[in-house]
Amino acid sequence: MEISRKKKWEIMTRGMKNNWNFFRKNKLGMAGIVILVFFLIVALLSPIPPLIDEMYVPLTGVDENIIGFSSPSLKHPLGTDYVGRDLMSQLMHGTVIALMVGITAAFMSVVIGTVAGLVSGYYGKTIDMFISRFEDIILTLPGLPLLIIVASAVGKMSVWNIVIFIGALGWAGTGKVIRSQVLSLRERPYVESARISGASDARIIFRHIAPNILPLSFLYMTFGVTGAILTEASLSFIGLGDPNNVSWGMMLQWCFSTGYTFSAPFWLLPPGICITLLTMSFYFIGRAMDEIINPRTRER
Amino acid sequence: MDMINVQNLKMYYKTQKGFVQAVEDVSFNIEKGEAMGLVGESGCGKTTIGMCIMKLLASNAQILDGHIYFDNMDLVPKDEDEMRPIRWKGISMIFQAAMNALNPVIRIEDQIIEAIVTHDDVTKREAQERVAKLYQLVGIDPARAREYPHEYSGGMKQRAVIAMALACDPKFIIADEPTTALDVIVQDQIITEIKKLQKKLHMTMMYISHDISVIAESCDRIAVMYAGNIAEYAEARSLFKHPLHPYTQGLMNSFPSIRGPRKKLISIPGEPPQLISPPSGCRFHPRCPRAKEICTQVIPEFKEYEEKHFAACHFAGG
Amino acid sequence: MDMKRFIIKRLAEILITMFIIITLIFILFRAMPGDPASLMLSPRMTPEIKHIIRERFGLDKPLYVQYLVYMRNLLHGQFGMSFYYNQDVYGILRQKLPQTILLFTSATALAYIVGIYLGRIIAWRRGSMLEYGATVGGILFYTMPIFWFGLICIWVLSFKLDIFPIGGFKTPEIWMSTANSSSLALIFDILRHLALPLTCLTVWIFAGDMLLMRNSMLETLREDYILTARAKGLNESTIRNKHAGRNAMLPVTTAIALSMADSFSGGVLTETVFSWQGLGSTLVEATLNYDYPLAQGAFILLAAVLLLAVLAADILYVYLDPRIKY
Repeated sequence: MEISRKKKWEIMTRGMKNNWNFFRKNKLGMAGIVILVFFLIVALLSPIPPLIDEMYVPLTGVDENIIGFSSPSLKHPLGTDYVGRDLMSQLMHGTVIALMVGITAAFMSVVIGTVAGLVSGYYGKTIDMFISRFEDIILTLPGLPLLIIVASAVGKMSVWNIVIFIGALGWAGTGKVIRSQVLSLRERPYVESARISGASDARIIFRHIAPNILPLSFLYMTFGVTGAILTEASLSFIGLGDPNNVSWGMMLQWCFSTGYTFSAPFWLLPPGICITLLTMSFYFIGRAMDEIINPRTRER
Repeated sequence: MDMINVQNLKMYYKTQKGFVQAVEDVSFNIEKGEAMGLVGESGCGKTTIGMCIMKLLASNAQILDGHIYFDNMDLVPKDEDEMRPIRWKGISMIFQAAMNALNPVIRIEDQIIEAIVTHDDVTKREAQERVAKLYQLVGIDPARAREYPHEYSGGMKQRAVIAMALACDPKFIIADEPTTALDVIVQDQIITEIKKLQKKLHMTMMYISHDISVIAESCDRIAVMYAGNIAEYAEARSLFKHPLHPYTQGLMNSFPSIRGPRKKLISIPGEPPQLISPPSGCRFHPRCPRAKEICTQVIPEFKEYEEKHFAACHFAGG
Repeated sequence: MDMKRFIIKRLAEILITMFIIITLIFILFRAMPGDPASLMLSPRMTPEIKHIIRERFGLDKPLYVQYLVYMRNLLHGQFGMSFYYNQDVYGILRQKLPQTILLFTSATALAYIVGIYLGRIIAWRRGSMLEYGATVGGILFYTMPIFWFGLICIWVLSFKLDIFPIGGFKTPEIWMSTANSSSLALIFDILRHLALPLTCLTVWIFAGDMLLMRNSMLETLREDYILTARAKGLNESTIRNKHAGRNAMLPVTTAIALSMADSFSGGVLTETVFSWQGLGSTLVEATLNYDYPLAQGAFILLAAVLLLAVLAADILYVYLDPRIKY
């Protein structure tokens, strides 16, 4: 019986529509999306201040009339830092960095982790042993100290270095979880029947197994973003961030190291609040997705 | 003398999608020393009845009407605090051991002792001795009492659960599918064991199962449940000799018999109804071969047609 | 004795892991462009010292020989000479080790105990204000950058209210005149300094523990043996603590082992913010100072402590779950 293309599309997206409706009812998840959208807008607006006036350029723009630190004013809603740079535009630029680093690094580690999980779960035996052992070693290493020591060896860190490091180390957890999912899916009857009817491994993996684990991958990506944002902030705070880019962690680092921690709440608080909010938004979205994927955690 | 007397019990579950009418106007009685069997398909409400008697209901379950008299005491209005002393000491339960009825991280002996010291004023020493006696009674080596549940086989776990149910010398025991998920040989052993104990200790029991052959072996009176109602309630012999309700008749027909001529098995067509919106009138009418107009509109009365033989059908018998 | 065999087996695994880590570090540093000798020698060193180090580490020999020498030296506690302090690395690190252990062990233990206790209660009272507040609080602390939280703590409690000292490990004046101060005063001093970093790190770790315990409890409460416990007529707190809690805390204990690495990262940040003289802050400091020997040494020691901590958590789990055969 031929099902029309339109019908097929409807059937496929029906699942997604159901999930979206369920997601909509989840208050936390929606709050997360609202916050995320807010930050996205801020990020998109961030190039505007430097266009208004050169003194708003985050890293180099200095107000000629102000030398060093100043409290909030009309021209500088959050004040200026120790060399006279506007803090608001720094904050806005930090949004771009946070989103970029967070999403890219998480995406990278989820892709690697999913592939590793698929391969090790499906093929088993030696390749599984290798990948799993590798994952075990990575998981025992302390993430931040490792990044610090790598930074020590490498010398200079750029934003992209940071993204690569976070991505290269963060995949192990996802890999393990995906692997156990694949292991249980592999024994399902429909996979068996596909194998018996002669489907190639690649086809089985992509057609039958992958669609069932993609939601899980997506879920782990949201958690990955929270981790990546916090890691980048921590590295910048310590002083190992990219000196050519202003991130929120960097702002806090300048505040701390120039001694304004106790006297400048407008400098100390906004970056931290932003980190917390953005991280929280991804966490909420992840939790809402978790309830969809894993119905057992739902409220009755 | 009635140990248990349930009258017009009505219990619904409140869910997001509406009320699940799990138990509807159920009445029966169990005399002292009697073994009553409650049999029915999955989801018909038999386990629910057991839970109702012990008031072990989920938070969204509500008893809307009726009485449950235990030894002349109505349990329906009692709250958790009032039920606690009655539980296990008055009424206890033999769970399906294939379930995780035993806590995996606590020694079995301790789990039984816990029940004993909660209800009886004895020392730990005395409780331990009682456990040893119970173990001998059910046929487990008392030396193994200090072990953990995962170290027992399925049959042993079931015996341990039985021992635990007997620990406080209860007046009434509910056995909920005690032999399901055990292999047939062990099943037979357990059923024999329970029968032996019941006779020896003159226990009053309610035996819940979906397996009518098991019920037939061990019970004096049998109640057949369908979709939250009791369809028929009679002494075992009477039930098998002349079942009055079409559902019971259907059940009898769908069992092969070793004796007699080989005949084709007739199963009951259709499926049990969803209890959120059960059929109007008699709940069995969609599947009943003898259904008439009146069955779709009027709920049949649960009447005594012969001595101690009740049925809920407009056309009982025939 | 199975437990002994289990511990020995795990210790062997730890040794192998350490071996791999040290090798990776060795390769990492040598793979960077530049003169490998500059990893051990700093221009500030006197020629005599340079000569000693060259000898000790075989810096003019081929790389694989250097590797073997490096390994052998490590076994003897020979990490090289710190560029910044001009002292033996191991000697410096040995003094910092107790502080890290003190902070980290107490924070992890406290977070575990309080997290389990609180998680247990809030899962029991589903839908209450307590659950709502604790969950929100837990999420807040989980997503907050720990160093920022530390800064705020210092700002409010040290700077504004002057209850706790701003940083450091001990007040020099009290310690210098040990003749005048009783040992009680010394301990109290350390506790005063410990309070804020401990709170900071504990709160951060505890958030994750509590949220996990809550979820674990909710799942455990659905189990059949909870119904059995209710049927036996046991009272609420017995069911909650003895039956549900004891089972629910098993996944949390596993999670502690798995998240130990993250806790360590938090520890490093805490030490930095509070100037707590431990391995973590030393690692950061050394990295910023390009003090390679000290940085490597701090990292290696930190990794070793981490692995032992994970082992401790694993032992705890085995002790708690009678089903595990080891």
